[in-house]
Amino acid sequence: MESNTELEYGYLSINHKGEELCGDHIQTTVGEDGSTTLVLADGLGSGVVASILSTLTSSMLSRMIEGGLSIEEGARTLVKTLPIARDRGNVAYSTFTVCKIEKDYSAVIYNFDNPEPIFIRDGMEKHLNYETIEVEGKIIKKASFYFKEDDCLTIISDGAVYAGVGESLNFGWTREEISSFLTSLYSPSISAKNLASILVDHCDLLYNRRPGDDTSSLVVRRRERKRVSLLVGPATNKDDDEMMLSTFLNDDNPHIVCGGTTCSIVARYLHTDVRGGLDYIDEEIPPISHIDGIDLATEGIITLNKVLFYAKDYQDKNKCYFDWSYKEDGASRIARLLLEEATDIKFYVGCAVNPAHQDERYHISFKMKMQIIDNLALKLKELGKHIEVRYF
Amino acid sequence: MEKVEVSICVGSSCHLKGSRDVIEEARNQIMRFGLNDKVELKAAFCLGQCGHDGVTFKINGEIITGITKDKVASLFENTIVPLTK
Repeated sequence: MESNTELEYGYLSINHKGEELCGDHIQTTVGEDGSTTLVLADGLGSGVVASILSTLTSSMLSRMIEGGLSIEEGARTLVKTLPIARDRGNVAYSTFTVCKIEKDYSAVIYNFDNPEPIFIRDGMEKHLNYETIEVEGKIIKKASFYFKEDDCLTIISDGAVYAGVGESLNFGWTREEISSFLTSLYSPSISAKNLASILVDHCDLLYNRRPGDDTSSLVVRRRERKRVSLLVGPATNKDDDEMMLSTFLNDDNPHIVCGGTTCSIVARYLHTDVRGGLDYIDEEIPPISHIDGIDLATEGIITLNKVLFYAKDYQDKNKCYFDWSYKEDGASRIARLLLEEATDIKFYVGCAVNPAHQDERYHISFKMKMQIIDNLALKLKELGKHIEVRYF
Repeated sequence: MEKVEVSICVGSSCHLKGSRDVIEEARNQIMRFGLNDKVELKAAFCLGQCGHDGVTFKINGEIITGITKDKVASLFENTIVPLTK
């Protein structure tokens, strides 16, 4: 782990009511030089046309920047070439915000007709100093800034500021109100994806779940890196248990142990015992237990399968966040640790076959266990986490 | 007098065979017989009896397999209550 902080970004969009496609498009690219480019484009109108326009805009911008063109040249070229809707008062077919963050956390942002992004530092909104660039009569706003640890930038589409028009609010949700919503909500413990999800869900609520516009939020922040280690399954060869456990326990906290037999082995190694719990908080998930010195001890395959389900949802619509963010069952607690808290996750996978679990009737088998763990590690990697898997 | 130790398996396999309902029923039976001070209900991890139907119990160290929700009452009547006497 070279540096102690890194960028984390996450986004969510909801579609205009009745539309299958979203007219907002978000694209994220990490360059070879370690820079990160984020684009949020909002195509005019909604549905297919808007979707094509915003996808084109964001892909073109990302590709130009990837191809070595300066971000300013890219933005200029795009504003020049974007088609104009003559029947709609000569507005361009797509608005966009593009932000490029270098490896040293210096950043530059160009905003073309999206609401002004909200930059939060130390719990307050810090207004960026925008300069105005005029390209063929159109105005682009540009600002240079720097990400300190825990600084957080939220880019939104105008669907957010129209939230509630004609439904719950007369004039929509103003940018200033969104800013105070975000500043009161943001804390370093909340992930970018979850902050974006809460914001977009609140817009959805103001729209009475019938969004009058595509609504998106893209959050990027610089966060502290945090490690979590997870142990599941006894080693294939019993003699390796000790080596596996000593390596695992040598890692920084927190430690998660999954699986009944595994918990017993860990407890024995630590000269303590497993105190099983009987309380089912979630009826699908077996109760957690307690081992002194271990942060979280849970059942294995059923719990991890639920965590995998949460990870897939987190990457997508993030609906389940509103459950796992507070529930105390094993799967929710693992989800909080792996999806939100950790940036670096080590899996210690013991490959012993549990003879008790090879009963076809109950759909749990060794093959399934390995599949669940592999898929979970893959999902977490796709979410930008640093994953290390060791098999024993 | 020592409490009777009743452990119910909540391992993956027993969980799928209904541990949750069995635990709930066991709690009902403890109320029914007024055994709060006499029985200590605990969770256990896999007791190595996954091949059997139903949930596995360990009562004062003795393994009893195949307990489904409808068998909990008779398990209390015939085995656990006598141990508390």
